[in-house]
Amino acid sequence: MHKVADIEVQHNIMAANKKLADKNLKKLEDKGIFSIDMVGAIGSGKTTLIEKIVDEDDFKAGVLAGDVISKFDADRIKNHDVPVVGVNTGRECHLDAHLVDHSIEDLPLEDINLLIIENVGNLICPVDFDLGSHLRIVVVSVTEGDDTVEKHPFIFQTSDIIIINKIDIADAVGADADKMVADAKKINPDAKIIKTSFKEEIGFDEVMNEIKNFQKNI
Amino acid sequence: MHELSMAQGIVNSVIETAEANDATEVNEVVIEIGKLVLINPEQLSFMIGVLSENTIVEKAKFEINEIPVEIKCPECNFHGNAETDDLDHYAPMVECPKCENKRISILNGKDCIVKNIVIEKSDD
Repeated sequence: MHKVADIEVQHNIMAANKKLADKNLKKLEDKGIFSIDMVGAIGSGKTTLIEKIVDEDDFKAGVLAGDVISKFDADRIKNHDVPVVGVNTGRECHLDAHLVDHSIEDLPLEDINLLIIENVGNLICPVDFDLGSHLRIVVVSVTEGDDTVEKHPFIFQTSDIIIINKIDIADAVGADADKMVADAKKINPDAKIIKTSFKEEIGFDEVMNEIKNFQKNI
Repeated sequence: MHELSMAQGIVNSVIETAEANDATEVNEVVIEIGKLVLINPEQLSFMIGVLSENTIVEKAKFEINEIPVEIKCPECNFHGNAETDDLDHYAPMVECPKCENKRISILNGKDCIVKNIVIEKSDD
């Protein structure tokens, strides 16, 4: 004969990540570090944007380069003489606060004032996972199709800066960059939306200015 | 594939609670998933099944309840659930269904909660 008991658990699985994210943010703020969660699909231009940001003299940057199994992105950024830690998620499609918590320990936190966290290339899964950042930037390229923004509203809703990238080749791939801007505005009226081509040097200064504005206002 | 990490979090939470209460077996688990959590309940169930193998949760029946997105609108004071929009999205677009304002407060629907479990205990 067994006894049966109904036990109230009330364990919030999402809250565990959020709690760790808050801890990460506090740790970074205590060291005077501004942090950016960089999200976007595979091939949207996240790594190129990070390379350009770390080349500027405005910040002393450190980078966490998230990837599923490879270290190509980490190696690319290392060539710019900034501290980089590659974070492999193995089979997971996003970074989480736990991985970030461990990985930032490997960065020289005393020597940097900007942390860029390059998330895994994915427009869906990172939405649910705060990492401990002040600012989320989403990079979407016209090559993904000009319906990408309206198809993935949540990532655009949770981002502070929305970058529509590779606008120089929009005609060649039959995409309307202005439609993507309009969709983004509709989904997230508070976000800063910037059209760019990092290859053709379009829009990057505006991106830097917005990052500095956000940093000033925290 | 983040159903896997979510499932792992759920199974760990159930096992911890069950063991803390001297359970010999877990019969039932009730989970609540907000509609804004980008999780497919069917995939989640499959992953939970895989991760529960050879544990005291193995035979448990999992009940997954979807929780609607509850919002409050500072513009028109609407307080209630967000609706599915007409842009062919399955999950609710987070806007006020009354005045279409998108600057709203989300009160519920972003969480994944293990609500309660029913366990068996030995008599001694």
